[in-house]
Amino acid sequence: MIPLVTFRLSGYVRSHRIFQPLLGLLAVLSVIYATGVPAGGELPSYSDSAGILMLVFAWGARGLLDNEPDEQRLIAITAVGRRRELVAGLLAALAFTGALALVALVFPLVVGFAETPGAADVGYGAGLHLLAVLAGTTLGALTSRPVLASPAASAAVLVGGYMAILLLSSAGPWASVPVLDWMNAAHHHELPERAAVIAASAVAWSVAGLAGYAAVRRVRG
Amino acid sequence: MRATNVSFRYRRGDPWVLSDASLDLAPGAVAEITGPNGTGKSTLLRLLAGLLRPVKGRIDERPAVIGYAPERFPSAQPFTVAGYLRHMAAVRRVDVPEELTARLGMDHLLGQRLPDLSKGSAHKVGLAQALAGEPGLLILDEPFAGLDVTARAELALIVAEVAARGGIVVASDHQGDLRTVPGVTRHEVRDGKITQVARVVEDDPLTTLTIKLPQSKADALAARLRAEGHEVS
Repeated sequence: MIPLVTFRLSGYVRSHRIFQPLLGLLAVLSVIYATGVPAGGELPSYSDSAGILMLVFAWGARGLLDNEPDEQRLIAITAVGRRRELVAGLLAALAFTGALALVALVFPLVVGFAETPGAADVGYGAGLHLLAVLAGTTLGALTSRPVLASPAASAAVLVGGYMAILLLSSAGPWASVPVLDWMNAAHHHELPERAAVIAASAVAWSVAGLAGYAAVRRVRG
Repeated sequence: MRATNVSFRYRRGDPWVLSDASLDLAPGAVAEITGPNGTGKSTLLRLLAGLLRPVKGRIDERPAVIGYAPERFPSAQPFTVAGYLRHMAAVRRVDVPEELTARLGMDHLLGQRLPDLSKGSAHKVGLAQALAGEPGLLILDEPFAGLDVTARAELALIVAEVAARGGIVVASDHQGDLRTVPGVTRHEVRDGKITQVARVVEDDPLTTLTIKLPQSKADALAARLRAEGHEVS
């Protein structure tokens, strides 16, 4: 399965489509960290970064999954089997969005934060970005070509889905991926107490979304 | 491998592409799938390859290693021929098919980028990746289309070799090149059914028929005769 993950990542990088989400990432990081973050504001900034970048992760994941032609996907399915092809695509997308998240974590340590945050804040920041990677990759998979063939519908559902997640997450931690909840908790210094519920909700929604993606792929190939 | 009472349609409410169709393929079988355009040949090939699931019926005893060459190789990929074949060999956990690339006459293409290839050259890449790793089931969708004469003859030999070591080969073939392979059986897809077309028996010798007709109708008649399994030159 690893050679297929490598093949998918290599194709995506070589196609230069990788620059689209990279530019999106840099734009978001520039906006968040342009004016600098004073001491004590690191975790709230990380939470905002994770929440906003979820859209970029979804965009990147969809781009990677849609990068190869449909016929190549069929060739890969016959080569490794339907399940492994699906998992390899998702692993490649997670690896790419994970790399974007790593940049988002390190970037402010170099140019954004007035002081280096403690290990706990970096750890919570990494955890929130990990949840954003998982949820964003899921949203990207659910809007990829095997699920939504029309590029216009795919783009609309991707952006609309992200906005719906934001709106619904204001209703409570289980209403959707709790993006606003984790931002709110970080800004009010309540993240340690609420982290377990936030992580459980984000993982549960992502697993449900990935199960839906797998179910659609089982029917549509 | 056995397809039993297979029915398939792409969406609920669509007409059935295949309806209660069956096909038995023993190890070493070479099956030529014929039929007019749009009757479901490619759909049947994808069902046999496991790329589509039958709506009704079942396909059993599919060999584990499958090689699939689509009708149109997806050449819009950012790799050289060598790079692509190297990746696909790694994916299949087999050696890079260097002997195959030589036999198909594509060694001079190895450094070229896939998007720069002609249709026939790209088709060879699709065949090479499908043939790598000694597939137990080889699914070829119009494998001879666009190939030069040498490659067509070599491909027929390779198909015979796959069958000789027990592999099953199923191919749609409008060109009729597969008929040079010993033991090939011909199956026609029409009206949702698969019908085995009777083989030409030895006591029914071949004859050559010359037909005079308006030039504008020649291509259509040639295509129809090929679809019916006749050799047209």
